[in-house]
Amino acid sequence: MADAVQTKPARSVVSFTAAGLRRGFASAQPLAVGVLAYGVTFGLLARDAGLSVLEAALMSATVYSGSAQVATVGGLAAGAGIIASVATVLMLNARYVLYGAALRPWLGQVPASEAYASLYVLGDGNWLLSMKARAEGETDAAFVFGSGLAMFLPWIGGTLIGSFAGDLIAHPEQLALDFLLIAFCAAMAIGLFKSRADLWPASTALLVALVANWLAPSGWTIVIAGIAGAIIAYLRHEDAR
Amino acid sequence: MTLRPDLLPLLLALTLASFACRAGGFWLMRFVIVTPRMQAALDAAPLAVMVGIVTPAAARGNPPELLGLVVIAAVMRLTRSDLVASLAGVATVALARWSLRVY
Repeated sequence: MADAVQTKPARSVVSFTAAGLRRGFASAQPLAVGVLAYGVTFGLLARDAGLSVLEAALMSATVYSGSAQVATVGGLAAGAGIIASVATVLMLNARYVLYGAALRPWLGQVPASEAYASLYVLGDGNWLLSMKARAEGETDAAFVFGSGLAMFLPWIGGTLIGSFAGDLIAHPEQLALDFLLIAFCAAMAIGLFKSRADLWPASTALLVALVANWLAPSGWTIVIAGIAGAIIAYLRHEDAR
Repeated sequence: MTLRPDLLPLLLALTLASFACRAGGFWLMRFVIVTPRMQAALDAAPLAVMVGIVTPAAARGNPPELLGLVVIAAVMRLTRSDLVASLAGVATVALARWSLRVY
């Protein structure tokens, strides 16, 4: 059966199975702890802003974006209107446009319902984990959904805890849980950094992030750095051949 | 357990805005042919985003975070495990904040 060896690289076969979902769910568990702590913080903020437990949990389950929710709840307390709140969410979530675009070659191969369900629970940490898993040969697109759920559920759980009984819990900053995503990004970036070809996108992103952060520190730094890195990789692609 | 009806239009608008961001890039890529060059750009995005997340934290120049990043780099070199390295980094930051009375 020597001719059976002629198999294509895994990139072309994409599945969406319970096994892939479980793999994704398990891989995101360490990050889920940080999400839970952040959720508690949001729950506390929401309670201080006058949101009921139900309202806070509903917001976490529908808007599902830490920075955007903190900003809009703060805005609500200050009397911000619906248009200002929507603009805030669009600005703080602009990075997801890039995340979704990068998932297209993989997630675009499964039925739309599965793809959009996965996108509904997409977050920073699980996007990074998924892209890393994909680069390492993961073919099952349910990995994205599973790792997303692993962070979506503690976000809602944390919100409930925070708005019910937030005072019972120590400040997450004392446990440095606010540093967890940054720590994961730093470690994964070092792990992902493989060849000289990565030097250009990484150093461009670093430079652009420094400038953006210096000019106007905001959620935009991530988007601008990500797009700058992608553009450099696009422009330099022929050199790699 | 109350739900103010006047909050619902706002929540609906925010939900749509949030999902539009999540689904928008994915949907738009329907109309883009992913050439190898485009694939290279998309593949470079995660590393660039990670740099974009870490850089502002480092640029703030707080000793606990800087120390944490150094520990992550060192542990990553030793163990090649991003889980071990990042937990070591978080523990370092927690200890440094505690000993420096930052929080």
